[in-house]
Amino acid sequence: MAQPVRNRRASAPPGARPGRPPQPPADEATALRRRAQSRRARREALFGYAMVASALVVVVVFTVAPIIASFVLALFKWDAISSPQFVGLDNFDTLLSDKAVTHSLLVTSGLAVMIVVLQVALGLGLALLVAQRASKIVQNLFRAAFFLPMLASAASISIVMAYVFNDQFGVINYYLNLLHLPQVSWLSSTGGATATIVLVAVWQQLGFTFILFVAALASLPGDVLEAAQIDGASSARMFWRIKLPLISPTVLFASTVGLINTMQLFDQPYVMTKGGPGDSTYTTVLLVYQTAFQNLQFGYASAISVVLFAVLLVITALQFTASRKWVFYS
Amino acid sequence: MSSGLFKAPMSRRGLLRAGAASAAVAGVGGLASACSSDSGSSSGSKVLNVAVFADQATANKLNKAAATFEAAHPGVKVKFNGTTGTDWNDFFSKLLTQIAGGNAPDITSVATEGLQLFAAKGLAQPLDDYVKRDAAELKSYFADVHPALVEAMMYQGHLYELPTDFNAGNMFYSTSLLEDVGVGRPADDWTRDDFYDIAKKVSAKGGNTVGYDWVVRLWGSWTSWMYANGGNLLTEGKWDGGDWLWNTFYPNDPAAAGRKGGWRWGDPTANSAPVVESLDYMIQLQKEGVAPKPDVGGGTTLQGLFAGNKIGMSIGGGFWAGGLHNAGMADGSFDVQYFPKWRSQRHLFGSGGFGILKKSPNKDLAWEFLKTLLSAKNLSLLAPGNVTTPARKSMMTAEKYATTGPKHWQVFYDTLTKFPETAPIPAPPYYQAMAIALNKRTTEAMSNGKAKAALDGLQSDLETAAKTG
Repeated sequence: MAQPVRNRRASAPPGARPGRPPQPPADEATALRRRAQSRRARREALFGYAMVASALVVVVVFTVAPIIASFVLALFKWDAISSPQFVGLDNFDTLLSDKAVTHSLLVTSGLAVMIVVLQVALGLGLALLVAQRASKIVQNLFRAAFFLPMLASAASISIVMAYVFNDQFGVINYYLNLLHLPQVSWLSSTGGATATIVLVAVWQQLGFTFILFVAALASLPGDVLEAAQIDGASSARMFWRIKLPLISPTVLFASTVGLINTMQLFDQPYVMTKGGPGDSTYTTVLLVYQTAFQNLQFGYASAISVVLFAVLLVITALQFTASRKWVFYS
Repeated sequence: MSSGLFKAPMSRRGLLRAGAASAAVAGVGGLASACSSDSGSSSGSKVLNVAVFADQATANKLNKAAATFEAAHPGVKVKFNGTTGTDWNDFFSKLLTQIAGGNAPDITSVATEGLQLFAAKGLAQPLDDYVKRDAAELKSYFADVHPALVEAMMYQGHLYELPTDFNAGNMFYSTSLLEDVGVGRPADDWTRDDFYDIAKKVSAKGGNTVGYDWVVRLWGSWTSWMYANGGNLLTEGKWDGGDWLWNTFYPNDPAAAGRKGGWRWGDPTANSAPVVESLDYMIQLQKEGVAPKPDVGGGTTLQGLFAGNKIGMSIGGGFWAGGLHNAGMADGSFDVQYFPKWRSQRHLFGSGGFGILKKSPNKDLAWEFLKTLLSAKNLSLLAPGNVTTPARKSMMTAEKYATTGPKHWQVFYDTLTKFPETAPIPAPPYYQAMAIALNKRTTEAMSNGKAKAALDGLQSDLETAAKTG
């Protein structure tokens, strides 16, 4: 590509100063510079696209394609062994009268609300405590401590927690017994199983919201807080009137991401309760898994996934619409 | 970041070169692994892939059982591939996904739980023609195996597996806990009331000790009580056919009388009176503190608790002998008795074996391998340390149980002969949906104490599952 430039230099006009390469006329030089810049820009753009492409391929292969596939699969009856059979919207028709789907959506929504509310409230509370009272070292220690469970897999944690909360030989009931307190049916009663799953999920995910709020509180404008202090605002008033409105975008982000995550809750109920007792912790993704991989109804499972996707979309849209009233971006 | 590697910024060309080199390495690596893949028959050698329900370390140990076969078939390698899971349902899910992904093994271990599932889906190869062809060679094997185990491996008149092992739901008990409360070994014909008295006495010891414990699953759960009470989750029937087998191998065996072409599981009867009564009994035991609320799963935890002398009695099969021994229980600290009598002393059992996948390109070779597995030596290698009950009765010897116990090891096999009405667990082609529903409804009943309502739900679940297949 650089060859034509060299050719032009070789045919420089006579009378050019010796010792210096011959110069093209000014307008031609500008055009050459522009062309070179454009070539460089094109090369940079190509390089950028090449870099993005690798990530894009991963997203397309592992996210976009499966999403499209599940939309298509929802229109088929398929057991993964025989050929798929097109059934149109039959799967969705069945789904409407399937109490298991409705129940799982209710269970999941209930769990999601409890988990997200606790995660946001506790994450914010802890962040406020740490930001206000602790030294930098203690802050970092807390950050690491709260974030650590997030680094472990939910499945591994659930296996450990299933033992910790075991009714018969769990650590918690062991200590309750030592203290002559009544033992709790953590995993074998409806309320106990729900509470345990919420506790474990909140404990594991708390680090995420905690870090978000610590960062949000650290970036609050100092002059505003100082002005409020000078005006004699109490701590509570400062929190409700100044800090909370200023970090409301973080609250929105944490609750939206939290809700999307918890609506897809699987590991904890699968490992700890198998959806029980009865179907009290039977989440929608657990239903999808069992329908697809155990009952071999891949089409129907895809239809349930599509419905869950739609539900999530609607909830997120509602959250964003409602946020216009309580989130302040400036 | 002080490393020299990161000191100088990398040029784009350098980055691209590095990327290309990495891709090339990855490609070569992939190619290399593809070349070394053992799924095909490259360079004149063949690999028989055998899927087993075990971790890979255990699966690797099974290679010993293939030694005689590999020696007799130069160029053929048998590879045992382990797949783990919490229960058979979990194993089947993974195996079916593997098959759906075009990675079907040649042979797979399938217990009673999945036999009809694999047969009905057209995944398993009927063995009728092979067995008929090699009948003379197989006579000694069949003469050594109880016909009930063979019938459990049939579906719609065809034989799909040759049983290698089985486990009947007997009652294990802690000898020391029973001695502590002044109770000796229960009689062979002990009843539910006898069981209750013992369980009550052991529970009275207090602490964390319970008289009885169990787990939620299809085999050896409250379903054992259901069988003893004359109930079942599904209507019992038999498929026509199979006469060729019974006439060839069991012509004068009274234990083969009435055997047909496999168990035909009909309409659900999950909310029938004997079934409700059985689950109600479990609720009653739990309310009285004789038994705790049960866990869901394979029973490993239960064995651990039993080995820790926290449980007076629990349902177990031959596999418990090895399990308790491995958990540290000394021979003599536990023993086994038949399941107690309720309306009858009917037991349930599950059998294990290996089936050939219809899609296997090496079916003839797979059959030759399966035959070699039936020798007593290879069956011992397949299940070392009494982790199951061998299907061949001649393998049940005092020597076999000398190190592990239990003292009354004869109970395991004699269950089949002493109680001829003993039957396999009800595992229809929709076993997976049934297992999920059973777990769900059992935990529901144990949680809210309402057996009838839960079993009405189970009945409805099973009716739906039977329709949708």
